[in-house]
Amino acid sequence: MNLPALLRHETVLALLVIIALATLAGLSDRFFTAENLLNQGRLMAEVGLVALGMTFVIVTGGIDLSVGSILGLTAILFGVFWQNVGMPLPVAMVAALASGTLAGVGNGLIITRFKVPPLIATLATLALYRGLAEGISQARSVRGYPEWFFFFGQGEILDVPVQLWVLAIATAICAVILGLTPFGRATYATGANEVAARFSGIRVDATKLWIYAGTGFLAALAAIIFVSRVTTTRSDMGTGLELDVITGVVLGGTSIFGGRGTIIGTALGLILIQALKNGLALSGVKGDGTIVVIGIVLIIAILVSAIVDRSRGG
Amino acid sequence: MTKLTVAAALCLGLMSGSAFAASAWTGGDDLPTNPLACDGTAAAPAAKPYDGGEPASAPDRKGKKITVVDIPKLIGIGYFNATSKGIQDAAAELGNVEAKTDGPTKANIDEQITFIDNYITSGVDGILFAANDPVAIAPVLKKALSKGINVVGYDANSTPDARQWFVNQAEFNGIAKSLIDNMAKEIGEDGSFAIVTSTFTTPNQARWIAEMAAYAEACHPKMKWLETVEAQEDNNLSFNQATTLINKHGDDLKGIFGMTSVATPASAEAVTQAGKCGSIAVVGLATPNAMKPYVEKDCVKTVVLWNPVDLGYAALQVMRAVADGTLKPGATSVKAGKLGDLQVINGSEILLGPPFSFTKENIGQFDF
Repeated sequence: MNLPALLRHETVLALLVIIALATLAGLSDRFFTAENLLNQGRLMAEVGLVALGMTFVIVTGGIDLSVGSILGLTAILFGVFWQNVGMPLPVAMVAALASGTLAGVGNGLIITRFKVPPLIATLATLALYRGLAEGISQARSVRGYPEWFFFFGQGEILDVPVQLWVLAIATAICAVILGLTPFGRATYATGANEVAARFSGIRVDATKLWIYAGTGFLAALAAIIFVSRVTTTRSDMGTGLELDVITGVVLGGTSIFGGRGTIIGTALGLILIQALKNGLALSGVKGDGTIVVIGIVLIIAILVSAIVDRSRGG
Repeated sequence: MTKLTVAAALCLGLMSGSAFAASAWTGGDDLPTNPLACDGTAAAPAAKPYDGGEPASAPDRKGKKITVVDIPKLIGIGYFNATSKGIQDAAAELGNVEAKTDGPTKANIDEQITFIDNYITSGVDGILFAANDPVAIAPVLKKALSKGINVVGYDANSTPDARQWFVNQAEFNGIAKSLIDNMAKEIGEDGSFAIVTSTFTTPNQARWIAEMAAYAEACHPKMKWLETVEAQEDNNLSFNQATTLINKHGDDLKGIFGMTSVATPASAEAVTQAGKCGSIAVVGLATPNAMKPYVEKDCVKTVVLWNPVDLGYAALQVMRAVADGTLKPGATSVKAGKLGDLQVINGSEILLGPPFSFTKENIGQFDF
């Protein structure tokens, strides 16, 4: 273990997380309790799931602005499949997951087949999918789900919120895929130098397509958990989600230019943001103040990381 | 089939001589109406058992200092700044309540839920809310009740069992009476008017129109309804629809009702641009800021809404009464400081009172 290895972005971030947790625990005695921390896990599950997919997307040098709209659209479709089409609830869930994946495939096809920059492509589908959600729902909510369905969003297994298990398992799977498999290496190669990756025989387009589809799937999974947590379906669900997700991923050290980033970093970034939001609220800071602090932390984290990077390189 | 139903309903209505028919005016709904008495004497409230929730093992807060947090749909807009001011006024007057307003900067159900969740953990005594969604907010409010926190809603309700009381700013029949009375005052008992609404099926607007038809029939029978037009909640479309009404009906048209906060200023603008200020009255629901230019130019005489400062004031007074145990399930009224006794309606709702009319004299005092 030499010094440069210790000074990776993730290490800096882990230190920041520890400092933040310690400070916040000092500010409010209600912060560092098992109940509060588990409850925060429940609240961050949806953003966390989508952030996993977004990490892959940003590592390839892309971006997906449509995740919030996919969440809204699949939530609406889930409700419509169940109430209007009359599917049994489990079937509706599978159908909603399939629709979310399909929406992601749509993004991937526009980006790979027509060579549209991801920013433009997903900006378009951000509007398109949200428009579909609003059109299909006609501003009506779907309510009255059976009691057992609330298990996913409000239930617990071994005293830990159900969605936290889901998030943990998904995080482990994504970490393995990105860190240890040929697919993960193809993802990094695509982001680092797409042309070189193509000439090395990496199936760049297929990799991207899989990644956008996977992100769509995760957004749909988040949608079902969200609906279960709030017991209703609305077309404006997930509005602005993309910004929370991208903030977490970028804070986690994933380079917006591609080629660099880890799932661990994303997890740390999300934990830091959630801890700040919750801890500051508990110590009496109002909502607008919290946003300011998060903005400052984001800038500091990126600056520190850039300085460390430069000193390591030079 | 619809025609048959309407005809049947009309026959039935005529035979029984009551107002229980499909709404006489397009854009109303078919639910039974309940017009108020013409002179405004309050009807005896229909007896309905308390259907609100109860906090689990709440500590005795009688007379003790309590911390209350107010979480509106969003912060930073004039309307909720006004309710927040009312809450602070009441807190200052009571002296034993520490109240603060906090909430999301956009009307987002997820963020509002997170705010409430955090305040539950931080251990407040009371939560005031204006729900972004009546059902989505219910689980987190029930959680608050289960932790012994007093929960009172205002402006936008949740499902009744998720909170204790809800301060209702205005009943449908109260708004309807105020609109029709003001129009009758401006265009006379035999004037003709048209309505600009959002869509024929928008729940609140449909309810208001049905109540207006019933009240006009009972109290201003000679007033003539011409037609109702749809304008979504779209500024341009509202303006165009109002202009069409003016051109189509010519001198027959004496008044326009705006049923949304978009339709009312747009109708006023259409009347202004047609040079019909003074000959066509505009009465409607709208926020004061949008209407100030027209009211100051005397083009619009009355804007109907409720007073959001009073609404916030009443909400905190109710919260104090609940914490003190003076407002219990089954009560028929509650003392709300300078507002006097407020009536309990619909089981667990508290009625703020008759709607508020903004006129040239008072509109300058409001900023929302």
